Amino acid sequence: MENIYAILPAPTRESAPFWEGCNRDELLLQQCQACKHVFYYARSFCPRCGDDKLIWQAASGKGIVYSFSHVHVSFYGPRWESQIPYTSALIDLAEGVRMLSRITGPERERVSIGDSVSVSFVEYEGQKLPFFALAQKD
Amino acid sequence: MAKVTDEAVIIGMGETPVGKLPGMSSVQIQALAVHNALKSCGLSIKDVDGLVNLDPYGIPQSMFSTTLAEHLGIKPSFCVTVDVGGTVTGMTMLQQAIWAVSSGHCKTAVCVYGENALTGRPQGAHGFQLQNLLGGEEWEEPFGLQGMVTPYALVTQRYFHDYGATEADTGAVAVSTRQHALLNDNSMMKKPITLEDHNKSRMICSPLRLLDCSLVADGGGAIVVTSAANARRIGAKMVRMKAFAMRMTHNSVALIPDIEDIGMADAGQRAFEEAGVGPKDMDMLQLHDAFTISVLVTLDALGFSKPGEAGNYIRTGATAPGGKCPVNTHGGLLSQAHIGGMLHLVEAVRQLRGEAGKRQIPGARHALVSGNGGIFSICGVSILERI
Repeated sequence: MENIYAILPAPTRESAPFWEGCNRDELLLQQCQACKHVFYYARSFCPRCGDDKLIWQAASGKGIVYSFSHVHVSFYGPRWESQIPYTSALIDLAEGVRMLSRITGPERERVSIGDSVSVSFVEYEGQKLPFFALAQKD
Repeated sequence: MAKVTDEAVIIGMGETPVGKLPGMSSVQIQALAVHNALKSCGLSIKDVDGLVNLDPYGIPQSMFSTTLAEHLGIKPSFCVTVDVGGTVTGMTMLQQAIWAVSSGHCKTAVCVYGENALTGRPQGAHGFQLQNLLGGEEWEEPFGLQGMVTPYALVTQRYFHDYGATEADTGAVAVSTRQHALLNDNSMMKKPITLEDHNKSRMICSPLRLLDCSLVADGGGAIVVTSAANARRIGAKMVRMKAFAMRMTHNSVALIPDIEDIGMADAGQRAFEEAGVGPKDMDMLQLHDAFTISVLVTLDALGFSKPGEAGNYIRTGATAPGGKCPVNTHGGLLSQAHIGGMLHLVEAVRQLRGEAGKRQIPGARHALVSGNGGIFSICGVSILERI
């Protein structure tokens, strides 16, 4: 993808493994060892049972589009103008969690709710971001 | 339980002009709203020993209730800043004031919010500039989410998908709300709009167009609470908060549940139960309408329409001026001004006092005010009643 612009995350002690995983082309999710709950986003305690025995594991990177929006305005000054229009989306991952992401790739404009998507890491200034791309449509 | 208490009542309300108030700071806007509210019930700042407010979203400030108290020249015994989210903040301010008065922490409290969100925002900016971050930025901004329009657009797109709703439904909200605004001299929008105007307005974040979005504005509103005994002594008109319930489910849109599981239905059910009244008893609804989708989701959640059928309900004329249950009689955030929903509460009190002039709902007794902070993150429903 050309001309990518993104606001980069400021990783914390909790979230650093997630963003480091992205840089290895891995989409990581935490799982609680006590109750087996898989969740997103990164935390130090399980948001279902409160346990702190958590492990990171690689997700399949497959998901279904729950919703999307084509964004036509740069809200906070001109910095997003190079990206417009772009597409933000909520993705229901195969592991049962919902995450927010951005749809990229040639089929972006044809996205529909229910479409199958796969993670597609896009690098910006040394950080790979877990965007998603659609399978080619007919 | 959703009970508040009957020992303290609402006796006054006021608002500032809305739109552009160049040269006015947020504290000055709040002070003007306080004075206007006190005038409505014949009181002055000398009578105020309780102050509840919200600091500006645009440029957050700590200890804003003491900033305002000093500016007003009062030394209250109860002085707090409340930040819950959207109109739920205003309702919670009222709840805090009512509890403070009924438990003797103060005798007369004013609840107030206002800021210079329009003239105070940076040049070249669009939308409501929120320098008080909501906390999910690490999981939103890398993916292109800034501000509030995109997350509400995600909800709207899903609502369309789940129920077969269309832009005719979001447009119906915009048109109905504008009809009310035309009856309010203190509203930013002065021209009628049609469904066609809505459909031709600029796309902001699909499927939300310009006329689906509320109006960033300067302005403020305030409400006065005192004990029922004091209200009777001074002969004030009385409105009570019959019930108030809230439900938080998430913060960032990244964790939003399915539409049926948004907290509005639960908050509404508990508020109705506590108040002992139902949807059919409401004379008006003042529903937080930062975006048109908010009204559709709320009408469904509160049982005024079956899931996905809010657009059909609006097309019956029920929500319009003169309808069986008018919605946002002041013109709402969409067509009056976005003052954080504080003016939804001000308008409900004004209507229940019978002081709404040419838009007065005859014999109004019950008003429902709903709101949500964030992206339906925390939902609240309150029921106000004329005594």
